[in-house]
Amino acid sequence: MPLSTQSQGDAEQYVLVASLDNARNLSNILKAITFKDHAIFSATPNGLKVTVEDSKCLQANAFIQAEIFQEFTIRDDSVGFQVNLTVLLDCLNIFGGSTVPGVSTALRMCYKGYGYPLTLFLEEGGVVTVCKINTQEPEEPVDFEFCSTNVTNKVILLSESLKEAFSELDMTSEVLQITMSPSQPYFRLSTFGNSGNAHYDYPKDSDMMELFRCTKTQTNRYKMSLLKPSTKALALSCKVSVRTDSRGFLSLQYLVRNDDGQICFVEYFCCPDEEVEEQ
Amino acid sequence: MKFRGKILDIACLNHFTRVITTISKLTKTCVLRLTPDNLFFVLSGKVANGGVSMWCELSQANFFDEYQMEGVSPEDNEICLEVTPENLSRALKTLQNAKAVKVKLTKKHCPCLTIAAELPTLSSINRVVTHDVPVDVIPRRLWNEFKEPSMPDFDVSIYLPPLKTLKNIVDRMKNLSNFLVMEANLSGEMNLKIETDLVSVTTHFKDLGNPPWGDEASQDGGPSQSRDPEDMAQARVDIRKLQQFLMGQQVNPSKAMCNIVHERVVHLILLHEDVSLQYFIPAVA
Amino acid sequence: MDCVVTGGNVKVLAKAIHSLSRIGDELYVEPQEDGLALRSVNSSRSAYACFLFAPLFFSRYTVHSGHTFRCKMAIKSVQAVFRSLASLEKTVEKCHIELDDQNNRLTFTLHCKHGLMKTHNLSFQDSESLQAVFDKDSYANVFRSNPRLLVDTVMHFPPSLEEVTVSVSDERMWVRNHVEEEGDQSKAMLTELCLASDEFDHFAVQAHNSVTFCLKELRGLLVFAESTGLPMSMYFDEPGSPVVLSVTDSVLEGNFVLATLSDDSNHRKKNNSRGAHTLPPPPPDDFMNDDIDSYLIAMDTSVAPGPSATGPPTPQLADSICSKQTAAASHRTRLHSEEEEEDKTTDSGRPPNKKFCSLFFGSVLPPSPQMSTQPVSSQQVLASDSEDDVQ
Repeated sequence: MPLSTQSQGDAEQYVLVASLDNARNLSNILKAITFKDHAIFSATPNGLKVTVEDSKCLQANAFIQAEIFQEFTIRDDSVGFQVNLTVLLDCLNIFGGSTVPGVSTALRMCYKGYGYPLTLFLEEGGVVTVCKINTQEPEEPVDFEFCSTNVTNKVILLSESLKEAFSELDMTSEVLQITMSPSQPYFRLSTFGNSGNAHYDYPKDSDMMELFRCTKTQTNRYKMSLLKPSTKALALSCKVSVRTDSRGFLSLQYLVRNDDGQICFVEYFCCPDEEVEEQ
Repeated sequence: MKFRGKILDIACLNHFTRVITTISKLTKTCVLRLTPDNLFFVLSGKVANGGVSMWCELSQANFFDEYQMEGVSPEDNEICLEVTPENLSRALKTLQNAKAVKVKLTKKHCPCLTIAAELPTLSSINRVVTHDVPVDVIPRRLWNEFKEPSMPDFDVSIYLPPLKTLKNIVDRMKNLSNFLVMEANLSGEMNLKIETDLVSVTTHFKDLGNPPWGDEASQDGGPSQSRDPEDMAQARVDIRKLQQFLMGQQVNPSKAMCNIVHERVVHLILLHEDVSLQYFIPAVA
Repeated sequence: MDCVVTGGNVKVLAKAIHSLSRIGDELYVEPQEDGLALRSVNSSRSAYACFLFAPLFFSRYTVHSGHTFRCKMAIKSVQAVFRSLASLEKTVEKCHIELDDQNNRLTFTLHCKHGLMKTHNLSFQDSESLQAVFDKDSYANVFRSNPRLLVDTVMHFPPSLEEVTVSVSDERMWVRNHVEEEGDQSKAMLTELCLASDEFDHFAVQAHNSVTFCLKELRGLLVFAESTGLPMSMYFDEPGSPVVLSVTDSVLEGNFVLATLSDDSNHRKKNNSRGAHTLPPPPPDDFMNDDIDSYLIAMDTSVAPGPSATGPPTPQLADSICSKQTAAASHRTRLHSEEEEEDKTTDSGRPPNKKFCSLFFGSVLPPSPQMSTQPVSSQQVLASDSEDDVQ
């Protein structure tokens, strides 16, 4: 295959080399966090973490473990850079991102270090595309200090049932209110729009509810505009874990299964709406 | 001036519709030339349409079961009309299960191409639908603007990769840049390149093959004789024009070729049975 | 009001609301003893639609007798309740509609699969009664067919087309696109479809008339008729009086009342050329006429003939004031006297060639039994031509 032969010789000059037989396994999961152009890539020997943020209130992380890649070589303990995610996705899908079985785009992704572009070699059906995407120095992602020991309430739902709710959300509502409680209404999504309010109630014994662990009644509001991008992750995932901590911070963890049946994770953190905090 | 044609065969009707739809994706208006043997759809490269020109040739016998025409005069046995292919396409698309479709030049509120069809029904009487598509009759003195473009004296001629692959790549490149460089050589290699502040992308095709053109194709006795086979001829074009060409393809051509006149023009040729479509995209600096 | 809809009827209700949204922005809700009436009217008041769901449509239907209640709300917000139309049948088991008089809320509760419960509390405004004055049973021309026939017919017209003209003879119906005379007629594509009477389940013609009305609303009702598989009826009379489209079964009735163009100089001209008023329109067998049609043109080699030079002479008909007056007069006979003044207002300053005859809504007594059985306080709404939108 041209990709493997091509880069064998100069492999040493790269600080990071990652190869995939199917580029969709990367592009799909990146789609789940595409809501701003800038994406921070940080690679460690464990794998790749890609972070996208919006106004210090929302953060999305995609994790692609080293094992997902056919080759994952990293020369330092950690390698970081920032690229334009929209551009990267267009490059990864240069051959159309076919979903036809048996047709896939092979990818070899290389980075030489600070000041160098991220180079992608893509191959499908004998046609080779080389992309050089300019990189920037990575910014430090915000630390939401969301710690599992501080989790007050947690539910795990099959994504299917939340997809319906999210697709029907009243977008004239500025906020999405999430109520989690050990008693009724257990798990409730509410909107307050121009023409009235709506509540979606999930009983704790629903067969859509895989886990229900709520210790205290908690009602928090989150800006709809911030949560809307998480719909993309929801669409790709099969399960979602919804957690809130004592401060009302929200963590949404999505379990995403790729074309080869491997599991990756996408995580969204969102601050509660300040106005409500003050009330 | 008289014209009347009838299509009875569903496959011919579908094929004809696809050709017209392809053309409708390429241009808002164009000229339809009717001759005793052929139909030509012509767009001459004016600044208004970005310098793009088109020439599509159909053999009437391949589509029509009946075809009668009388041109302006016995010497100039042709009819030249300005048409909106989108209208023709729309009319034809709704008639895909028709028993028979008639196309005729008529005099209604204005000159029209009237497309009339008999649709099958459960009733004893057929459902009849007619579409009057207004056309402008082009006077004789302007005909010379719509002659077949001469084959440009190209530097490189090459077979195109599958159009769907090409389309996917051009669609993505269009998201990244407004211009694209097409380059090809006589060793069957073609590259598509874009470059912006954010990214540079190059797609390499190889083993495409170079069509064997006759001696008359190039001034200096055929391109292959005087040219270094590795030497690339290139043209920078407006991506939208190329995208438009690829987007409209409803006909799966048996042959697709591209001629490049270095830094001048990209000449795309599609051949499918008795239909040929040529499309010229001028290079930009 | 307190009612429950179950099973496939939830989708029927949702589809009805969806087709009402093709008419106007607001949904008028009126629980009546004979069923739940849902209505809508467009902003220019030239199109009106009403669905009446009989008590038997519901698995529970209770209204406070002797207590008239009417309200209106943004139709979009009601549509949002039934947003996932496609999956509705699979996901929703029961829909409960309840009126909370105290808080001015209409509550829709959807009981869905897996115990998911969706509650929409919609705010509403009190509203006047909304009634169109029409008596379809007195109309001269009545047709009924499977919705498929009309779906296959409108398919031939572009989605952007606003109005169609329907003409009838004893044996046939012609549907063609309406082109405004002053518009860019030379560039407009004209489409005409001819349907034979035996394609219809019922075809009764007493007057060989042509009427022109908006296609959008017809398409709206067709979506409903097609999804429920109910035959669709069309009633019309003369230009200027509304066309009525309806679907009926034992538990529901839907009527769409659409104004028709009353200034019919357009059709008269076309019809004159086709002889629709006096003679039957051209036989569809024109298709089979194999004479080669010709378009002869003086091919001057020096002058490019423009469309104006090449077009056939268009005889300038005298402005058909008399026909307009006739239409208006005959219309007025069916109206409340109060409207005359307003009628005059609408008469002035409207473009000459496009005028939808007014539909009047308001406090008149129910014209047909399926409409409200309650006398209502006087609230007059005048319909006028579509130009009223732009105020």
